Amino acid sequence: MFKSLSHIYLFIFSILLWHNAAFASERIAVVGSTTVLPIISQAASQYHKLHPDIIITVSGGGSGVGIAAIIQGTAQLGMASRETTKEEKTKLNGRINNITIAADAVAVAVSKAVYESGMHQLSLQNIADIYRGNIRNWQTLGGENKPILVIDKEASRGTRHVFAKAVLGSSHARADGASIISGSNNEEQSIISQSNQAIGMLSNAWLNDKVRGIDVLIDGKAISPSIKHVRDGSYPIARALHVLLPKTASPATQDFVKFLLSKQGQLIVKNVGYLPVQ
Amino acid sequence: MKIFLICLALPAFLLPAACLLYILWQAWPALSLELITGTVDAIEGQGLSFGSQQALWHQISGSLLMMLLACSLATPIALSIALFHALWASKRQKKMVLSLLQVLQSIPPIVYGLCGLVLLVHLLQWGISLAAGAVILSVIILPLLSSNIIHALERVPFEQSQAALSLGLSHMEMIVRVWLPSAWSGILTGILLAMARALSETAPILFTATVFSGIAWPESLFSPVTSLQTHIFYLAQEGSNAQATQTAWASAAVLLSLVLCLSLTAWFLRRYEESL
Amino acid sequence: MRLSPLSISVFLGCLIACISTCALVWFLFDSSWPYWRSFGLSQIFSSQWYPYESLYGLLPAIVGSIWAMFIAMGFAVPCALAAAIVSSEMLPCSWQNGLRLSMEILAGIPSVVYGLIGLWVLLPWLQNTFHLLTGHSLLAAGLILSLMILPTIMLMAQDALRLVPREQREAAKHLGLDWNQRLYRILLPQAWPGIRSGILLALGRVLGETMAVMLVVGSLDRLPQPIYNILAPAQTLTSRIGREMGEAAFGSMHFSALMACGLLLAVTAIFLSLFTQRNTPQT
Repeated sequence: MFKSLSHIYLFIFSILLWHNAAFASERIAVVGSTTVLPIISQAASQYHKLHPDIIITVSGGGSGVGIAAIIQGTAQLGMASRETTKEEKTKLNGRINNITIAADAVAVAVSKAVYESGMHQLSLQNIADIYRGNIRNWQTLGGENKPILVIDKEASRGTRHVFAKAVLGSSHARADGASIISGSNNEEQSIISQSNQAIGMLSNAWLNDKVRGIDVLIDGKAISPSIKHVRDGSYPIARALHVLLPKTASPATQDFVKFLLSKQGQLIVKNVGYLPVQ
Repeated sequence: MKIFLICLALPAFLLPAACLLYILWQAWPALSLELITGTVDAIEGQGLSFGSQQALWHQISGSLLMMLLACSLATPIALSIALFHALWASKRQKKMVLSLLQVLQSIPPIVYGLCGLVLLVHLLQWGISLAAGAVILSVIILPLLSSNIIHALERVPFEQSQAALSLGLSHMEMIVRVWLPSAWSGILTGILLAMARALSETAPILFTATVFSGIAWPESLFSPVTSLQTHIFYLAQEGSNAQATQTAWASAAVLLSLVLCLSLTAWFLRRYEESL
Repeated sequence: MRLSPLSISVFLGCLIACISTCALVWFLFDSSWPYWRSFGLSQIFSSQWYPYESLYGLLPAIVGSIWAMFIAMGFAVPCALAAAIVSSEMLPCSWQNGLRLSMEILAGIPSVVYGLIGLWVLLPWLQNTFHLLTGHSLLAAGLILSLMILPTIMLMAQDALRLVPREQREAAKHLGLDWNQRLYRILLPQAWPGIRSGILLALGRVLGETMAVMLVVGSLDRLPQPIYNILAPAQTLTSRIGREMGEAAFGSMHFSALMACGLLLAVTAIFLSLFTQRNTPQT
């Protein structure tokens, strides 16, 4: 009986191995920022139609996860919506090329009810005070009498790094006024839309009817988180979206990155709502 | 007093059933064969509404594949432990084995996932793979399966084993001709319950075996998979998208029905065994 | 022991099982050792968790886990116990079997499904009822956990009550004890060991539950202010591991800190299990 069982196992095992050998296709694992994920996800399916023998798997987790995966070698391509930190640069040791494929704005997003009560713009100092816990009620800023639901992000997320640097001074700054911590852009969007007193940090492509982006007051001028202001550099919380391509990457991976920078790839960037690289 | 107890007991009776019905009610509009076999390519990206329009077929097959692999890895080892317990263990060793199995069963599954991450994904360089997920799941279900098989074998009447040995049958022949016919339903029940457990575990495979999209069918043991449980988790983060919530409820309903099939079969088997 | 193919296979199987168990223990200790060596046990009482500033305080997560445990057991134990008593003492036999079947089925529902229910049904309800900023809270985590362990406790309590022989009940009736006295003096004391082991088993499950808690607890690494404030977002050990497992680079201190959380969970679970076994009646 054991003999026949072991024969069955060997048979199944060899089928799986043979399948691998016979259809030797390349697999590119792309890991990282949920901001960049929509671009890569759509580009991957279009690229797969052009090159059916290349399989591209996409995972989220945040910019920190993507960079860590590249450092450890568990992914072939990383997605990041922020610059690599000093510690990450040391660990990477010059092994990668940081290629910008798009740019977007980190909008300061508020719930629809807050926006409709008149909160259309805030200065960077106000936003910093909210996140530090110095301002706790919308009334202080001229809105309704409601406590502020301050949504912070996980510390390694690209969106958080960029936001904290522009608003709180350093990308690792603490936000003592935070009421809750969210993970991906989707999760933050859900929390803001289900509340009527929330403020959070969200990529501009995720703004919709229930999640409104407010303008940032710089020197008395209100600058909205639109693509136009990212292009002319006036919006203070803008960033480049990159992919991290190891220098030893396979030709297929390099070709995929070329695809991302091509006209087709940049059209996807525009459709998602980001600014294409000119 | 009785009234007080009944009032206290009502939530316990009604709430779990209400949850099941709520899931079915929410999932009903989205449930259709189209959802499972669907025409949307699993590798299709949908931009911002991640995964809300994908068909579930690839997730279901990923889950089932991992479950089958995990069970086929765990069953021989569980059988070995049970046979050791039945044939060669002294009384003290028997108690130690059962105690150890209980302890292993109580360790949180996320701890198994962490150790699998360290050993399989990083140290052995398997990467995020079906193999890593299957091994981690098999280690999680091993204690459960072993103790079920041990109890199934214990239910074989002692006199039958004694009679077989005194008639000169070898251990192997006794197992096949005496134990297996009596205990097969108990062993099968154990295997079904272990399969149901493997299908429900989400946290250990979240970072060790699954990716969000891109895999239609794993082309080797060392490629990642998509699974139904983790798909529900990704969809849970898209609460503002109505279609995503629909798909999430539908996925939950599908997962529930798979687990229920296994549990109900196990229950019927146990009833059949008791009636014998 | 003769050297037959059977004995060799059994030996190999048991060897693999032993090796995997030892590997589990080894890697838990080995990966978290850098953390314990650098910080010692002092970090268990520190409330600052800021990985970027190399602060790895475990206190908020530990306090959160303990609160979730208390809330879950506080809701689940009375309800499940009452349900078991009602089912075994007041319901006819056929109903009992049907109830048992449904409880066994419900005990197997995957945790991520409970997470969905918690996220989209419980949280809005909590937010509206208590006029909170957000429904994410320790209370939400505790309530979802209690929902998960209700079937388990009920099943074990029902089994324990059923094991009390019928003659005891009849003798009590003939001695003139009314229903309440019969319950308190005869049935519960005798069934208590079985009920207790059911409660301890459920406690182990509550401690290790990850997915449902991760979605509803809010993941805020801060001690509840004041300490009994269960209506604010907080953090538990399992939720922290689940959220940060992907982003901690392998080999970094952050990774060791997460492994240390895992070690704490495993050690607590092992002690709980050994305690349960010591106190379980040998049937």
